[in-house]
Amino acid sequence: MNKILITISLILGAIPVLAENIDITGNVQSRCTVNLDTPGAYGNPNAYTLTTAPASAGQEPIVRFDVSLANAYKAEVSYPTSFSSSPSLPDNVAWTGAVTVAQTSTSDMSGYQAASSIAGSKRTYALTVAGTTWFKSTSIAVYGGGQAKAFPGGAYKAVVLAECIAQ
Amino acid sequence: MYRSIGLCLVLLSGVVLSHEMTPTYPTWSISGVEGVKKTTMQIWNSRKDVSFYEVGVFNNKWKPIPFVTAYKIIKIDYLSKVNFDIYIRTQDIVEATYVCSLSKLRSNNESKTLLATRICSKFK
Repeated sequence: MNKILITISLILGAIPVLAENIDITGNVQSRCTVNLDTPGAYGNPNAYTLTTAPASAGQEPIVRFDVSLANAYKAEVSYPTSFSSSPSLPDNVAWTGAVTVAQTSTSDMSGYQAASSIAGSKRTYALTVAGTTWFKSTSIAVYGGGQAKAFPGGAYKAVVLAECIAQ
Repeated sequence: MYRSIGLCLVLLSGVVLSHEMTPTYPTWSISGVEGVKKTTMQIWNSRKDVSFYEVGVFNNKWKPIPFVTAYKIIKIDYLSKVNFDIYIRTQDIVEATYVCSLSKLRSNNESKTLLATRICSKFK
């Protein structure tokens, strides 16, 4: 009996496996993805200044753009020029800031900063190479209209706008 | 080399907080209503901090163009995508240049900078 079972098992085991290739297909369409890489935070090095500078315990927000097609998009990144929410501020706030390329996925993008243009607080980059670019937006807010008055206590928030616009 | 490794780590980490809208170059199609055309867009949301996106249609000078959608502010859950139709009068098609989606931010009590993202596709 055992011999029969063993023989049948060997016969069944000898049946060739019918393998078939299954294709997996995909299509990468032209797209732009805007990612929050590093959230920003304000440091308060003195009573009248809020800054994203790491040296002052701030954190510079970094936004990442992924584009899958060259010359299809432009990136527009701005630094804030007002608080979106804050305690009541009867005096003026002076804003300064900058947007810079923090990192690129290929060296072909090394000319992005030099080729960019600026209008007010917004810097525009032509994304001429497919890949990933990281942009850093730094901002400094000084309170008191030049008289260095202390910011009132409370939470302060400002918005960085990152836009990816098809060309 | 280090950048490539860094990029791979970021892509594999699965913590990307992103906003994406496709297609890049939408086209108008018949809608079933005379004098009205439509196009279908898709938004992908992987921003945990954002649940709503505002849709707008603009001309080449960024002036708003009248259009209709089910909702101009669309709720999109984290790690999900939403398809939506945009309807526009045939007479406005020549002027309509961009369709954009803008992330809507929530307020909280932390002192920080927030990131608003806007992606615009272009009618060609």
